[in-house]
Amino acid sequence: MLSTLELSPQTLDVDAPVRIKVKNLDFYYGEHKALKNINLDFRDRHVTALIGPSGCGKSTLLRIFNRIYSLYPEQKATGEVMLDGRNVISNDVDVNELRSRIGMVFQKPTPFPMSIYDNVAFGIRLYEKPPKSELDDRVEGALRRAALWDEVKDKLKTSGMGLSGGQQQRLCIARTIAQKPEVILFDEPTSALDPISTGKIEDLLEQLKTDFTIVIVTHNMQQAARISQYTAFMYLGEVIEFAPTNTIFMNPSKKQTQDYVTGRFG
Amino acid sequence: MSTATPSTVRELPPSTWGRVRQSRRVADKAMRIITASFTMIAIFVLFWILGMLIVKGIGGLSVATFTQTMPGPGSEGGGLANAIVGSIILTFLGIVVATPIGVLAGTYLAEYGKGSKLADLIRFINDILLSAPSILIGLFVYVILVEPLGGYSGWAGGVALGIIAIPVIVRTTEDMLRLVPGPLREAGSALGAPTSIVITSITWKAAKAGMVTGILLALARIAGETAPLIFTALNNSFWFSPSLLGGVSNLPVTIYQFASAPYENWQQLAWAGSLIITMSILVLSIIARRIVRGAK
Repeated sequence: MLSTLELSPQTLDVDAPVRIKVKNLDFYYGEHKALKNINLDFRDRHVTALIGPSGCGKSTLLRIFNRIYSLYPEQKATGEVMLDGRNVISNDVDVNELRSRIGMVFQKPTPFPMSIYDNVAFGIRLYEKPPKSELDDRVEGALRRAALWDEVKDKLKTSGMGLSGGQQQRLCIARTIAQKPEVILFDEPTSALDPISTGKIEDLLEQLKTDFTIVIVTHNMQQAARISQYTAFMYLGEVIEFAPTNTIFMNPSKKQTQDYVTGRFG
Repeated sequence: MSTATPSTVRELPPSTWGRVRQSRRVADKAMRIITASFTMIAIFVLFWILGMLIVKGIGGLSVATFTQTMPGPGSEGGGLANAIVGSIILTFLGIVVATPIGVLAGTYLAEYGKGSKLADLIRFINDILLSAPSILIGLFVYVILVEPLGGYSGWAGGVALGIIAIPVIVRTTEDMLRLVPGPLREAGSALGAPTSIVITSITWKAAKAGMVTGILLALARIAGETAPLIFTALNNSFWFSPSLLGGVSNLPVTIYQFASAPYENWQQLAWAGSLIITMSILVLSIIARRIVRGAK
């Protein structure tokens, strides 16, 4: 297993500032405690992967960063998730402003029932009223950045629902980056896609990390190894080990991590 | 590559043919025949009604049906022009009353009322209203609008039809919004859109075809309602007032009155009116189905 992993060639910048700092974070689904005392640092313009078996809480953790969990009244988080000096899980943070700064791409593509252009412009229009020419430029720029422009430039007015699954997912990425967030959360973004589409999205992530801080949940350990600089291994609602990706995959310090990354359980 | 045969050749388990008893096969076939024949009975009745309507209704149809007003007692000829126009206006009024209320109530139930006791109560009452006898609604509007305002009017008729259409629209709106996948709403919220914008520009758009279909079905439902009009718009043998005050002529009540009248031409017109209503409802239903199919 280990021999088949391509480890990320890029060196990580140990002096990079921390963009999101998680301290003593607990999370509850009703009475059930799903996350226990999470402490993690997410470094600016780095890719951090969250790995672990199903139900370990990695998606739950991701959904805290943009407070998407607070759509559901029975879900509750306590502790600290610091973004630029403010605890995002405290009630005095405007969730919609927070969400415009922390984008999210979901497991299944979620194009809105509107044209490709309007899909990308949706997030921009929520908080800005740029003139038409500037909006056009932003939409084009985002689609180019998401490596989708050449495929859709002649049909911007057609529905986003008509694209293939891989194109829809890149449309969702374009929609997210058009809003110029600082952090982008990816929740298993390739698990519903074929290998070629998956490869395109991975290439994209590689380029996006020059501008965005990225957190990605993935079931695919090769993917985590290929694209991330830091990896957190989670199990039963706890972070078992958090280290540079190379360390997690080549020289983990916990036996559970070793067993998981070598495919012995999970 | 090895060509060796396995060291142990295992026997097949003993044959299990003949497990199904003959009696079960007969029972199975009987069930099929019984359900099919009862389906035939239901369909036969439906086609009987349709056939009779077409045969007798077409006999009563003529250009005059659409151009002349209703004939007086004992006079020859005449048409249904005033009743057709009146019915269209009343049905339209009903839908105008019901659509905003129905769509917004359905939206509340599907989007905001998740798990709330109030929403459960509203849903329960809506289901009762859905099957409430329409004559009760006619009487209700008579008491709250006709009596206080001192007379029958098309406005009262429109309100009565609207009250009948509301629960239909509430129900279909809620059902259609529930079919919209949750991740689509989350994706809208994840861009920082407040719930109101997620609903109006994402969820409603995603459910648009189904919601329009619900409104069309409500339209079809109230187009043929008679009982709520008897107490509200009543009827009018002549052109009604453009203010819609006083009786407003309409097809269902006209059919009710003409079908039981002793005059041959009145009875003919009752058949023609029935055919017109049935065909309108049929066309509306086909359009509604088309929209649903187009959306898929």
